[in-house]
Amino acid sequence: MNPMIGKELRQRMRERRGWILPSLYLATLGAVIALAYYLMTVSPNRQQQGWQIGVALFFTVAYTQLSLLLLMAPIFSAGALTIEKEQRTLAGLLTTLLRPIQIWWGKFVASLMYVLLLLVAGLPVLSVVFAFGGVGPWEVGIAILTTVVILATISAMSLYWSSLFRRSVHATAVSYVSVIVMTVVTFIIYSIGMLVYHSSASSWDLMPSILKAPLYFNPAFFLTMAFVPADQLYPEWVQCLAVFLLLGVVSTLLTLRNLRRGGEMV
Amino acid sequence: MIALEQVRKNYNGTRGLDGFSLRVDEGELFGLVGPNGAGKTTLIKILATLLRPDSGKALVAGWDVTAHPQEVKRTVGYMPDQPGLYQDMRVGELLEFFANAFRLSREQRRAAVIRGLEWSGLSARRNDYVEELSFGMKQRLFLARTLLHDPKVLLLDEPATGLDPLARIDLRRQLKELNAQGITILISSHILADLEDICSRVALISEGKNATDAEGNSLIVNLQEAALPRMAYEVEVLGSVAKAGERAVEMAGVKIVERHPTRLVLEIEGEAAQASQLLRHLVTGGIDVVKFARRAATLEDRYQHAFGGKPR
Repeated sequence: MNPMIGKELRQRMRERRGWILPSLYLATLGAVIALAYYLMTVSPNRQQQGWQIGVALFFTVAYTQLSLLLLMAPIFSAGALTIEKEQRTLAGLLTTLLRPIQIWWGKFVASLMYVLLLLVAGLPVLSVVFAFGGVGPWEVGIAILTTVVILATISAMSLYWSSLFRRSVHATAVSYVSVIVMTVVTFIIYSIGMLVYHSSASSWDLMPSILKAPLYFNPAFFLTMAFVPADQLYPEWVQCLAVFLLLGVVSTLLTLRNLRRGGEMV
Repeated sequence: MIALEQVRKNYNGTRGLDGFSLRVDEGELFGLVGPNGAGKTTLIKILATLLRPDSGKALVAGWDVTAHPQEVKRTVGYMPDQPGLYQDMRVGELLEFFANAFRLSREQRRAAVIRGLEWSGLSARRNDYVEELSFGMKQRLFLARTLLHDPKVLLLDEPATGLDPLARIDLRRQLKELNAQGITILISSHILADLEDICSRVALISEGKNATDAEGNSLIVNLQEAALPRMAYEVEVLGSVAKAGERAVEMAGVKIVERHPTRLVLEIEGEAAQASQLLRHLVTGGIDVVKFARRAATLEDRYQHAFGGKPR
C-alpha cells in the first residue's frame, strides 16, 4: 500500500475535526430531513401519498448532502500540500523514493476517503426514504455515484490550489471561490444568457449549446441530471460527467507538475 | 563521489548558482561555507534532486541528478536547513513511515527503525509524539530519519543551526562517526569552528560562484595542511609589548597583525629563514621572548581573507 495513504489517514483521524465534522454533518443532515418531513406533513391541506414524501425526502437529502460535502471537501484537500510546506516537511517527502504521483494519490485518496466516510455515515439517514417508497436502488446509486464524481473533482481542484500556494489559508480560500464559481456563478451566467436569448430558447432541447455550457460545470445541475430515467442520461448527465472528469484530470496533471517543481517552494 | 561542473541555477527570480564547480572524493567530510545568499542551499538542493540545474552537470556517485533522480535519492540522505517533522506522529511511526517511503522491505524497515531509534538515543521515546521532543532531540531524530536507507552520501544544510553547545558537540561527534563508517558528507555551515573541527576540506562559495584568490584559483581550503599566503607568528614577551613591536617592524617585511597585553601576532613575508632572522633580531634587541610559535591559519582567517570581513 502507498505509505502516504496510511500516514494521511492516521494524521487526519487524530485531528479534533476528525470527529467534530462527522458529528456536525450528521446532525445537520438529520435536522434537515426532520424539517422537510415536518413541512410536508404538518398541513392537513397537503395530504400526500407515501411515495411522494419518499421522493421529496430523497431529493432533500441528496441536495443537502451535496451542499454540505461541497462545503467540507476543500477543508480536507486544500490544506493537504500547503501543510507540508508550512511544516517544512515537503522537502523530506520529495527526497524519498515516493514519486510525485504517489504523493498526490496518497493525499487525494485520504481527502476523498474522509469525505466518503461522511457520505457513508449519511446512508442511515438516507435509508429513511425507503420506508416511504418511490425511490429505488438505481436512483440512490446514481445519486451517490454523481456525488462521488463531483467531490473527487473538487478534491483534485483543491489539491491543485494546495500545490500552487504556500499557505493553507490562501489555498482554502481559492478552493471555496472555485466551488462558488461552479455552483453560483455558472448558474448566474446561464440565467443571464436565458434572459438575453429568451425568445430563441423556449425549449431546453432547442437551446444553443453555448447557453447551456455553464451548467455542465454546475454540481447541482449534474446531480439533477442524474435523476432522469436511465435511458436519458445521455447527453446531459454524460456531458457533465465528461466535464467533471476533465476538470479533475487537468487539475491532477497541473498538481503533478507543481510537485515536480516542489523544490522551488521548500 | 560528488561532482559539479559549471552548474547554473536561477529560481524564484533570484540567482542561485552561477557556474559553480566542485569535486568531493569518496569518504570525505567536506565543508561548504559562504555568506548568506551565496548559493549553498541551492547547491545542496540540486544534489538532493529538489532543484534541476539550468545548465552544467551535477553527479552523485556517478548518477546525474537530472537524468537519474531516483538513483540519486537512493544514494543520498538530505537534511534541509530547517528540517520539518510531522509533529502529530509518534517517533516510531515517523521512522516507520520514512523507511516505507524508501521502499525498505518489512524486515529491513523493522531493523532500520530500531537502528534509528538507538542511534538517535530515542528508543525510550518511541511512542511519544514528535511535538513532545526537545529541539536537539528532533534534530537527532531527523538525522536518524536521513540514515534509514543507508545512504552513501549525506547532504547537510546548516545542521547545527539552533543547537546548544552540547548538542553541537554531539552532532560533530556523530558526523565524525558516520564519516569513519565511510559515508561521504557534504555540510554547509556558518559555524566555521565546527567545520574546522570535522572537515578535511572546505570550499568557499560567493555569489553563486567558487570564491577565488588573487590569482583566480578556486578557494578550497585543505584544513589538514592549511597555510596563509603570509606566515603568522605568535610572539609572547616579558616586559613591554610596545617595545617588542617597535623592534619587530624594524625588520623589512614584518607587520603587526594583532596586539595583546603580553603577546603580538606578527606576519612575515617569506619562509622559515625570515622567521629565524626575526627571532634573532628581537633577542639581540634585548626583548625577552618566552614564546615564538607559528600560528596555524584558521578557517576564519581564510574566510575573512576571501570575503574581506564584510558583513553580508
